[in-house]
Amino acid sequence: MSDREKMEFWGYERPDGTVGVRNTLAVFGAGSTAHHMAVRIAEEVKGAVPLLFDEALLRLREDRERARRTIVGVGHNPNLAAVLLVGFGGGHMDPVDLAQEMAGTSKPVEVVTVAECKGFSQAVDKGLSTARQLMSKISRAQRQPFPIGHLTLGVKCGGSAGNSGLLGNVVVGRAVDTLVANGGSTIFSETPEVIGAEHLLAKRAVNDRVARRVREVVERMEARIRRAGEDIRGSQPTDGNLKGGLTTLEEKSLGALAKTGTSPLSGVLEYGERPSGRGLFFMDGPAGPINIMVGEAAAGAQIFIYSLGGGLYSSFRNLPGWGIGGFPIGPVLSVVSNASHPRDEEEEQFFDIHCQGVLDGLESIDHVANRFLQELLAVASGKLSKAEISLPHYWVPLESYHTGPIL
Amino acid sequence: MTKAILIHARDNTATLFGEAQAGEPVSIVRGSGEVVEELVARQSIPVGHKIALKEIGEGEQVFKYGETIGVATQMIHKGEHVHVQNVVGAVFPGRPIPSSRKTG
Repeated sequence: MSDREKMEFWGYERPDGTVGVRNTLAVFGAGSTAHHMAVRIAEEVKGAVPLLFDEALLRLREDRERARRTIVGVGHNPNLAAVLLVGFGGGHMDPVDLAQEMAGTSKPVEVVTVAECKGFSQAVDKGLSTARQLMSKISRAQRQPFPIGHLTLGVKCGGSAGNSGLLGNVVVGRAVDTLVANGGSTIFSETPEVIGAEHLLAKRAVNDRVARRVREVVERMEARIRRAGEDIRGSQPTDGNLKGGLTTLEEKSLGALAKTGTSPLSGVLEYGERPSGRGLFFMDGPAGPINIMVGEAAAGAQIFIYSLGGGLYSSFRNLPGWGIGGFPIGPVLSVVSNASHPRDEEEEQFFDIHCQGVLDGLESIDHVANRFLQELLAVASGKLSKAEISLPHYWVPLESYHTGPIL
Repeated sequence: MTKAILIHARDNTATLFGEAQAGEPVSIVRGSGEVVEELVARQSIPVGHKIALKEIGEGEQVFKYGETIGVATQMIHKGEHVHVQNVVGAVFPGRPIPSSRKTG
């Protein structure tokens, strides 16, 4: 078997040609008041997950548009085989409007509103019967083999320490390079972390326009932070980073960029924006893991990587989802740079890939990188990630990204 | 022996894969595993932290990943712990270091 033949995964083909790695029925609570409905319906239907978007009603136009783009983008995500939107009806997140915008993918999209059903209980009942019908329909789908180039990864690192830029992020970076070289895509974000390394990212841009966009996006966020009277260069690296051996913001940023490999940067995206081509993309976004993964999911990422250093999350060896909660839109794989001493059984339950063997002189970086790529393809083909196993219920509100005040 | 990884030929620091006690030898290795040199840690240095591979004079640039990660605020001797006590973030084009970022 050649290397190229091994570079495939088993996924679900969608009507628009995209490929899902999960076959989920998503019940969108459109507007925070609809969360209760979405949870009630999803709890009663096997394979359904509630997507709880925590969007405050009264925001500035830029934030409203970004939130809308994000929710519609998530609706397009190929991991979602069908979508049920529930809500009260009307308002700036009217489920009927959102459904129309999601319908472009030709996947089944249904709407149930309290207004239309003339009551909450009636709407829950109708939502349940609709969800049951949708699940019956989508559960017939079967996985088929696809080349790795159909995958889009969303990557994020956290709890950074001196070693994460040398181990976990390098391992992730290798997979990113393999994926991009084979026609796949990777999206990374966290603009505050690019501050201090923007000149290096700009150097990797495919053209001057992309390089300019890198600087624009970084400067825009820095200006926003300054206007709020804060100095990011004074608050970063964090105390945890300093304790882990990171001395300056530049060092932290350079280590964070290691997870993007060495591939050329094909483009810069606004938060939640879908890329027009394939390759490596930088998306404007904040530092929160959920915020970043929601933006990446809206842009089409099917599988998510969380590279953990020796910092806070990974120091609690038995924390399901490493404290960020479950992520309902796609599997999240964790790569941990520093294992505890002695290595214990607990962390085997909660982390997907350990890089500790490199520290112990038992494995090369190349070896771990290969192990990671195989695990990535296995999870893309249906193997559950450790976070999926340990967090079967999704209760975390999906926060996107806001830059303005709540009015 | 504790290992420290040298990421790029230009670097004047290496990152420790284990804790080094003062007076202990540290093996400096490349990513491939090749040993570059052995040097003695002048201070105790925690895992993940950096050790100086050569003398870095006050005001000189500190390198990791082949890139500047900051500037030495005092003379750093070979084998010493390189961290906030002797390094401050460097200047990027058009962006001076804010005065509040001075470290003690």
